[in-house]
Amino acid sequence: MKISFHINGGAQSVAVDGNTPLLWVIRDMLDLKGTKFGCGKAACGACTIHVDGMAVRSCSYPAKFAEGKNITTIEGLSAGEELHPVQQAWIEEAVPQCGYCQPGFMMATAALLEKAPNPTDQDIDDNIVNICRCATYYRMRKAIHRAAEIKNANS
Amino acid sequence: MKKAYLFYTLFLAAGMALAYASSQPQDGEGITPPPGGEEPEDALQAFDKMMAVLTHKRCVNCHPAGGRPRQGEDSHYHNFNVQRGADGHGLPALRCGTCHQRENNDYSGVPGAPEWSLAPLSMKWEGLSRVEIARSILDPARNGGRTLEETVHHLTEHELVLWAWEPGVDANGRPREKPPVPKDEYIKAVKVWAEAGAPIPEE
Amino acid sequence: MSESKPKKTFSRRKFIIRSAVGVGVLLGTGYFTRPLWRRSLADMANSMEPSYLGDTETPQLWFEVTADNQVILHSPKVEMGQGTFTGLAQIAADELEVDMRQMKVVNAATATGNIDGLSTGGSNSISGLWQPLRELAATMREMLKNEAARILETDAAALTVREGVVSGNGQSLSYGDIVKAVKEWTVPNTPPLKDVNSYQFVGKPIPRIDLHDKVAGAPIFGMDATMPDMLYGAVVRPSSIGATYASADASRAEKMPGVVKVVKEKDFVGVVARSYLEAENAKNAIEVTWDTGKNWQSEDIEEMIKVGKGEPFVIQKEGRAKRILDNEEGVVRAEYRSPIGAHAQLEPNGALAFVDGDRATVMISTQVVKITRGEVAARLGLDEENVNIIPTYLGGGFGRRLHTPNAMQAAVLSRAVGKPVKCFFNRQEEFQNDTFRPPTHHVLRAKLLENGLIEAIEHHVSSGDVMFGSPLFPAIAQPILGADAGAWRGGMIQYGKVPNFRAVSWRVKLPFATSWWRSLGLLANTFAIESFMDELAVKAGKDPVQFRLDQIQDDEAGRRLKEVIKAAAQKAGWKDGVQNGRAMGFAASTDANTPCAQVAEVSIEDGQIRVHKVTCAIDPGLAVNPDQVRAQCEGAIIMGLSASMYEKMTVKDSQLTPTLYGPYRMALMKDAPREIDVVILENAEAPGAVGEPPLGPIGAAVANAVFRLTGRRLREMPLEL
Repeated sequence: MKISFHINGGAQSVAVDGNTPLLWVIRDMLDLKGTKFGCGKAACGACTIHVDGMAVRSCSYPAKFAEGKNITTIEGLSAGEELHPVQQAWIEEAVPQCGYCQPGFMMATAALLEKAPNPTDQDIDDNIVNICRCATYYRMRKAIHRAAEIKNANS
Repeated sequence: MKKAYLFYTLFLAAGMALAYASSQPQDGEGITPPPGGEEPEDALQAFDKMMAVLTHKRCVNCHPAGGRPRQGEDSHYHNFNVQRGADGHGLPALRCGTCHQRENNDYSGVPGAPEWSLAPLSMKWEGLSRVEIARSILDPARNGGRTLEETVHHLTEHELVLWAWEPGVDANGRPREKPPVPKDEYIKAVKVWAEAGAPIPEE
Repeated sequence: MSESKPKKTFSRRKFIIRSAVGVGVLLGTGYFTRPLWRRSLADMANSMEPSYLGDTETPQLWFEVTADNQVILHSPKVEMGQGTFTGLAQIAADELEVDMRQMKVVNAATATGNIDGLSTGGSNSISGLWQPLRELAATMREMLKNEAARILETDAAALTVREGVVSGNGQSLSYGDIVKAVKEWTVPNTPPLKDVNSYQFVGKPIPRIDLHDKVAGAPIFGMDATMPDMLYGAVVRPSSIGATYASADASRAEKMPGVVKVVKEKDFVGVVARSYLEAENAKNAIEVTWDTGKNWQSEDIEEMIKVGKGEPFVIQKEGRAKRILDNEEGVVRAEYRSPIGAHAQLEPNGALAFVDGDRATVMISTQVVKITRGEVAARLGLDEENVNIIPTYLGGGFGRRLHTPNAMQAAVLSRAVGKPVKCFFNRQEEFQNDTFRPPTHHVLRAKLLENGLIEAIEHHVSSGDVMFGSPLFPAIAQPILGADAGAWRGGMIQYGKVPNFRAVSWRVKLPFATSWWRSLGLLANTFAIESFMDELAVKAGKDPVQFRLDQIQDDEAGRRLKEVIKAAAQKAGWKDGVQNGRAMGFAASTDANTPCAQVAEVSIEDGQIRVHKVTCAIDPGLAVNPDQVRAQCEGAIIMGLSASMYEKMTVKDSQLTPTLYGPYRMALMKDAPREIDVVILENAEAPGAVGEPPLGPIGAAVANAVFRLTGRRLREMPLEL
């Protein structure tokens, strides 16, 4: 079926089986490789994107539901050359090790900051439940607080 | 949606006497003839059938007693410390809809249905006896202010409730267990029970 | 234990100039190391001396100078998160006299000839390349200066270099300018290396060079690799222990949408399709007949892993420990266990292969570039030189990518269709076909003297294989070592003042693959020994920190260990006992010559163990990048907590379960300590191991704290109240 949506600000149309997880449309049809496959079962969070601003695990989101939606991936998180506050904070705190899970964490964090501009440690514990095997959680927590500061200073 | 609305109207119009509607299959399999000469089911037998469903994990997992849903055939706490949130739809950035969509996903094994969410805490069933559950669903203070008719409607027509009979497959591709009573028998039992004045047995 | 090491130098000085490729000129060199298998094995197994095993015959590409004056380092060690690329760039930049901004690092493809014959692992990437890389960089700098001197018609000694620009005689030339102008290079003798204290970048917390790519979501991983006309493959993998492929009926799969070809081999069946999902769907429609064996249960495995069963090997002996302890009077005895552990790295294993006639190219996340190449070449019947393995960034390694038959499988599928094929595991297959951390059983015995010190102590560890059976470790080498040094890593008694001690390793061959998992046996062995040390300290009525300090010998290794113990205790404000519902637990270990001590501050909340703070003191020698040493400690501590407190694979009806994150419970954000305080000591001149040593103490540190809170001694991982 033909599915039309906006992704990272641009209109896009794909012809694909409607049940195809949006993850594979994004990665293999649109060649946006920042959204990662980790488990395909909505368990690890590596494939987290935004659908109309909400954090969604794209491996468990059928492409047909994307019709008419606004999709954002890690590639569209930044505004042009300027990195998103979450990305800036991730660099300042030198969070990534292997880096594979990080786009998913950053997307989840960006969604959190829209709802909770000053997240508490408890908010972070409750909302950010992706998996990082390098276990960079300690720096991530610092980076999430720092991202909130940057974002609040900008706005 | 249209079909459900029609049933609802009929239901309200004809009240509980309309046993005809109770035998309507909800999954579009076609119309079966009205029960006609069949003897009405004994209300307490109907209660047993209904409760076999309502106490099943497909129901109770999302009617938990606390702030966390349960999942799986062993009703363990939902993985990743998932929580109810203010509106029963999860936390601000970890909504139910982060993973659950409006239908089951056979690729991920993540279940889904419209309005996938937890029952409000007032409607907790976890840890309750059959009698306590029955009292709870009849109590407007706890059942969301529903009349008996509205409660019957929720129990027999709400898509999220009826998901229990189409629970899809788990992450390993294995079919989830369905409630122990077939859907049409359950629906009929609910209506028979309600029709008989929703009697709650002594236990 | 730590002696001064013979300095590695070039045994022959010969740079090979390569023809221009793209921009700039490639410079290569044949770098000659000690090519002794035995020496390397001993390096890895025993002394843990830094290991690097380069090719001895063919030229190798190390540096590429581009026209815009950038230097690209082709690293024979892969980047899997440990920060190696950044450390290597710092080391090279200092000797090359270029700025960090001018340094790029890429994984060396095997076609460059720059192939590490060992692996990326063992925490030895920085330490192993510390000397050779500095010599290479310094030699290259001198070559460039010499050519600049010729062009500028002056004496090389009169030239200065700054940020890759050679100046003198009133003129300047960039490295890029020089390489463009030179046709014939002369290779000087290895110049003296700079004083370490004069380095601008080494020793500084330079930001990782891969940060931007990693926050931008750049396509840098094996999973992200693409080639034109690429197809997708899927291989049917066994889901139970002992199952081997017998035959397959693919008639249904062949008719499925998108299927290009079903490929039946003698040992596996796979399918190639136009998309990942079509390949996956078709794979699921293939009906495979498996030859199966015994029906295994967890209890069978536990029965096998038991001290007293299997082959014993004495790995350490001092005095008469056995004799003293066999007289059971007054002997303290305790048993410990650790479970089967999964790697659970986030990026699934996979490979993109293109077999084109008698040549093959494979893009893959691998820790064993040379073995991957050998396996692909052997399977396809190609010359190794015609197989180019292009390593990508790894989405986690942890030892999982020391076994890469997936490269060969992707290559076989590619050959069958004549197009590039990308083929990777799904998550369930990852868990079912992991090369697990083996389960262990430990028996510890000790007897105390009247003064409370240890008279004799003994550690027995029973473990599945780690090194043995790995392609990285030839079977012929097993007799050299006798016992599986991976299994007993961390299993020796490090308290050298104790008059009588002994350690015995019991080898058990399990029916499923067990292998290298970050820090190998260190995690379980340290958990057992350091928990037992705490038991002894309590029995002796001594402070556990002082109890340890009193029994460590006074040689260099002992002094370094004592320093980290003292530093951790001091920084944590060590107190033995419960304060405000919290207790501290202490443990220390030495791994690969790097001592590490940790203090865990723990409470019990809602019946759960909660780790609030971990203080870690580590002495890796010279810290090339202190911030990355810190990052490795933080990550290792939380990963170690995860393995010690939550993770466990079980066996039911020959199925290894669970097969998904969540059911395979791992540490999440909420489980990570809110505070991690890392103290870095640098009591050695050269850089040492960092990536694994901090995994050692954490399990015991937590369990020892739990004992103080509850009076219960948790002797089994995962720790459960």
